[in-house]
Amino acid sequence: MKKLKVEDLSKIKEKRIKERQLSEAGPYRARIVVHLGTCGLSAGAQSILETFESLVAQHPEAKAYILKCGCGGFCAREPMVQIETLGLEPVIYVDLKPKDVKTIFEEHVLKGSIVEAKRLSPEESFFARQQFLVLRNRGKIDPENIEDYIAQDGYMALAKVLTSMSPEQVIAEVKASGLRGRGGGGFPTGIKWETCRHAGEERKEERFVICNADEGDPGAYMDRSIIESDPHSVIEGMIIGAYAIGSRQGYVYIRKEYPIALEKLNIALAQAREYGLLGDNILGTGFSFDIEVHRGAGAFVCGESTALMASLEGRAGIPRAKYIHTVEYGLWNKPSCLNNVETWANIPIIINKGADWFTQIGTGDVTNNPWGGSKGTKVFSLTGKVKNTGLIEVPMGITLREIIFEIGGGIPNGKKFKTVQTGGPSGGFLPETLLDLPVDFDSLTEAGSMMGSGGMIVGDEDTCMVDMAKYFINFLLEESCGKCVPCREGLRAMHSILERITKGQGKEEDIEALQDLSKVMIQSSLCALGQSAPNPVLTSIRYFREEYEAHIQKKKCPAGVCPDLYEMTIIPELCSGCMVCARYCPTKAISGEKQKPHQIDRSKCIKCNVCYSLCKFNAIKKI
Amino acid sequence: MDGKKMVTVKIDGHEIQTERGTPIIKLAAKLGIYIPTLCHNDFVEPYGSCRVCSVEMRRGKRKRLVTACNYPAQDGEEIYTDTEWVRENRKLILELLLARCPEVPIIKEMAAAYGVTETRFEKLYSDCINCGLCVRICSEVVGANAIGWAGRGVNREVTTPFEIDSQACIGCGACAAVCPTGRIHIEPLWALKEGEPREFTLGPASAIYIPTYQAVPKVPVIDPTACIHFKTGGCKICEHVCEPKAIDHNQEERWEEFEVGQILLTTGYELFNPVVMKQYGYGRFDDVYTSLEMEYMFNASGPTNGRILMKNGQEPRSIGIVHCVGSRDVNYHPYCSRICCMYALKFAHLIRDRSEAKIYQFYIDMRAFGKGYEEFFTRILDEGVNVIRGRVAEVVKASPDKANDGKLLIRCEDTLVHRFREIPVDMVILCSAIEPQRDADRLQRLFSLSRSPDGFFLEKHPKLDPTATPTDGVYIAGCCQGPKDIPDTVAQASSAAARILANIARGVVEVAPILAYIDPEICAGCRLCLQLCPYGAIEYLEDKGISQVNEALCKGCGTCVSSCPSGASTQRHFRDDQIWAEIEGLLLDRR
Repeated sequence: MKKLKVEDLSKIKEKRIKERQLSEAGPYRARIVVHLGTCGLSAGAQSILETFESLVAQHPEAKAYILKCGCGGFCAREPMVQIETLGLEPVIYVDLKPKDVKTIFEEHVLKGSIVEAKRLSPEESFFARQQFLVLRNRGKIDPENIEDYIAQDGYMALAKVLTSMSPEQVIAEVKASGLRGRGGGGFPTGIKWETCRHAGEERKEERFVICNADEGDPGAYMDRSIIESDPHSVIEGMIIGAYAIGSRQGYVYIRKEYPIALEKLNIALAQAREYGLLGDNILGTGFSFDIEVHRGAGAFVCGESTALMASLEGRAGIPRAKYIHTVEYGLWNKPSCLNNVETWANIPIIINKGADWFTQIGTGDVTNNPWGGSKGTKVFSLTGKVKNTGLIEVPMGITLREIIFEIGGGIPNGKKFKTVQTGGPSGGFLPETLLDLPVDFDSLTEAGSMMGSGGMIVGDEDTCMVDMAKYFINFLLEESCGKCVPCREGLRAMHSILERITKGQGKEEDIEALQDLSKVMIQSSLCALGQSAPNPVLTSIRYFREEYEAHIQKKKCPAGVCPDLYEMTIIPELCSGCMVCARYCPTKAISGEKQKPHQIDRSKCIKCNVCYSLCKFNAIKKI
Repeated sequence: MDGKKMVTVKIDGHEIQTERGTPIIKLAAKLGIYIPTLCHNDFVEPYGSCRVCSVEMRRGKRKRLVTACNYPAQDGEEIYTDTEWVRENRKLILELLLARCPEVPIIKEMAAAYGVTETRFEKLYSDCINCGLCVRICSEVVGANAIGWAGRGVNREVTTPFEIDSQACIGCGACAAVCPTGRIHIEPLWALKEGEPREFTLGPASAIYIPTYQAVPKVPVIDPTACIHFKTGGCKICEHVCEPKAIDHNQEERWEEFEVGQILLTTGYELFNPVVMKQYGYGRFDDVYTSLEMEYMFNASGPTNGRILMKNGQEPRSIGIVHCVGSRDVNYHPYCSRICCMYALKFAHLIRDRSEAKIYQFYIDMRAFGKGYEEFFTRILDEGVNVIRGRVAEVVKASPDKANDGKLLIRCEDTLVHRFREIPVDMVILCSAIEPQRDADRLQRLFSLSRSPDGFFLEKHPKLDPTATPTDGVYIAGCCQGPKDIPDTVAQASSAAARILANIARGVVEVAPILAYIDPEICAGCRLCLQLCPYGAIEYLEDKGISQVNEALCKGCGTCVSSCPSGASTQRHFRDDQIWAEIEGLLLDRR
């Protein structure tokens, strides 16, 4: 393949659009978009794809082609397929099984009549409130095909930057956009770039750009999806960043647990190199830059900037003191600019559409103070006790209520909403009273939580706050590097106190001890992991103190989660004597005759909750 | 780091100017302000793991806690090392550490200083605080990298790779020395080996030591075979701590040549190693010592601070002193070592002075020949020392079933009462013989000396010239000439010094005119004469290919003259033709 020149890009774009355009005269009149993200594949998308492939091969008269796309976003309803045919609006089919495929193909693709049974209702609000900037190519491109990306204006921003902008202008544009780091810290990206460029120029040293793809928060998978579905947007962002900073070498630090993302990324990098978008003399402009991929080895703490760089250097991933910033002395003591996947993916669209357009989205005013607001959109992975789990992109400033009840569709099974946890293990729990809180960096931090990288876990009334706090502390306990005392010993102490409380051995002074521990961890831990680790505990005490008190004083778990703090009981008035619970009880703790109320022998009950979930009459209660 | 810029900071109200980037803890130390820390040490890079050194930093309206060990002071900052906030934070950290190590003294002390005596948190009963000093000193200073980290979070611990004994460990003990909690300790292995180079076999050795207590000049030396720096290229801690900067690891041994006119040999003696006399158990039994080791033990600055102790640390209750070990013995040295009787008596006196132990002397003859010596012997007898005349046959371990369990039995014949005796003792001192230095033959060749059958250097005349040697200008004194005690040595050495000074005062050396002369025209350079000259007076000139006589050394013995195959060597004034002429003249007269 000949290396591309700037003017070749638009030729490729036109050619690709023409090739893929649906028309009666052209080669194709139908497009079948199959979503093959990790979520889709685990729901069975591979067999859906294979069925479609064989059908397309059998029916050349259909003139259909299959677009192997990345994540569709609506995880709860995967496998998901979008079918576009001439004359019909695009239709999304969800919850597919291989047996449904034939019907859909025959009815929709061949005959042109929509199969209503599997169709995603056009009224569905999941996509309605979303705004796609980072996920702009969702459902439009094959991540393994660079020309698909170019057809969607891909690498146009790079061409624009290399031909018509100076590095300073690029930095100014990014600064003006008010883009803040999407990895959790919310540091203004433009300022980071400027400092890095400045440090490098002052010392006449080479600089590095690094992409942090070591996403490890429980329940968060935004970065994985972006790389799986649209790796070129990250690569393009990094090349632009490298040009702005003056770097010739970039790294992607990707976590070991993301094999598909790694595969797609490597394919994309190879293609970019082949097309002359990476390597020496990019697009014939004289600018040279390349990217190397480094796989993590499974440590959560390696998502922390200094630990990540230590790991990149080949040392153990342990953070160091950050009194000297990594933008000045980072990887191999050279100025290094580390940004998260989502941040990099934002860059091309900011360059293409301009900072003014970008600042129209979001909250606050960043013209004078880069910390003055949150601009653009944010990708969240919406999980937990919510109907529509999935990957969503929303404009900054949207309220939690809109996210959870409109996009998320509310709480399943008629349960009540209790809490939403944002920001992963470093974030906090927010109660119902804060549902109208706008989602932006500063509001969330003020409420004791944080934006984080974008995990959003919803809890219903069956969620025990103490147990949840313990879960996150336990996660951090295992993932702390163990270097500094407040984090290592503080987490250990916290965990043992929470363990005690959930076992019904809590003491009055435990809440104060937890607050003391939080204080020392926040103010003197070495890195952000320890400094933010107490957030789940602090916010759960702040908003759900009565639950702690119930555990400690009454020795009761109101949500019925902590096994030592509740008992199973059958309400005789509600029990119809159907015997289902008795049949499935693994320890034979339930006895009773047909049509008569049953009893539970508490000495045998192991609180497995099988009866609780099976009872159709709500006759089993936790007390 | 571009830290040459100067900044001004205030620490607890004291203004100090410094280079940008200097850690606060160093500035505080300059001002005499103490900041507690557990993980910091001047010899390694700051690490910031214990967080005990956290201090309050204020800049304008902003204030935060920073770790003093690694926070680089910035211009205009105010640091407070002991505010309420700092104390409260430190208190909580120490409470956490106390939960981890509730029984470690230094943690207990530090916590108590902040009013924490009990912890609210679950105790772990560890004795390691994971400060990482050991790991860092091993890699940064020693360069051995023998220990490192394993595990993560609460499971993080210091260990050797794969938790097996590390081949990389050089046993330097640096990790144990820096460990604040005493988790790491070194167990010294007190080995007593044959041919140990120094007399320090009784104590642990260090790479830096003063060779002997009477060394001149009395300065320490570094043993390159033991020094960490010469093993790994790291360490140099001694260089850092030496304030006058007197240590230079690049210094090497070097040969220096001095031109001198006269030489006094005082190379001394070597102590007979009694290991070879298996019957005395030296090296096999714990508490059998040589006289020199005992001398070291008696020394107040020695390994036991002058106390008489057995290897198990207890005081002996009975001690046997065995004379003539290796001396007056046809199997080893037939001569008398002359000094043993008197120092054995001195030992008895010193032991009597310092302990209650019973003392037994086993002797052949008591040779108390010097001035006042006999009186000393009588005094010792009065002090209640048991003297038994008879050579010791053997030293054995008492059989365990007897009353003397664990003791050593000295077996000998008491020749005064004609009885065989077995005496149980706790400790045995062997009065080892004095031997010539093992390299005496090398010296002998170097200086063209002779040695008597016992191996000591031979003097020019046993009665008339006991300090000079057959080689002019070379003198001997002390034990290299034969066993003798200190007064005799001093007398002999003084006389030798006087002889030397007399020569120097005269300024010239008179040489008898009867000298050999090698005619360079005739000499073929066969070097036969070189091997034959008893005085080492002939040297071979490489460049000319001939031999030449050093007239200062030549004694005119004529050996070279008679042996020279080409007739190049002649005796001045006694040339062949001269002698023939003399003979002819005599015979002419008769005619």
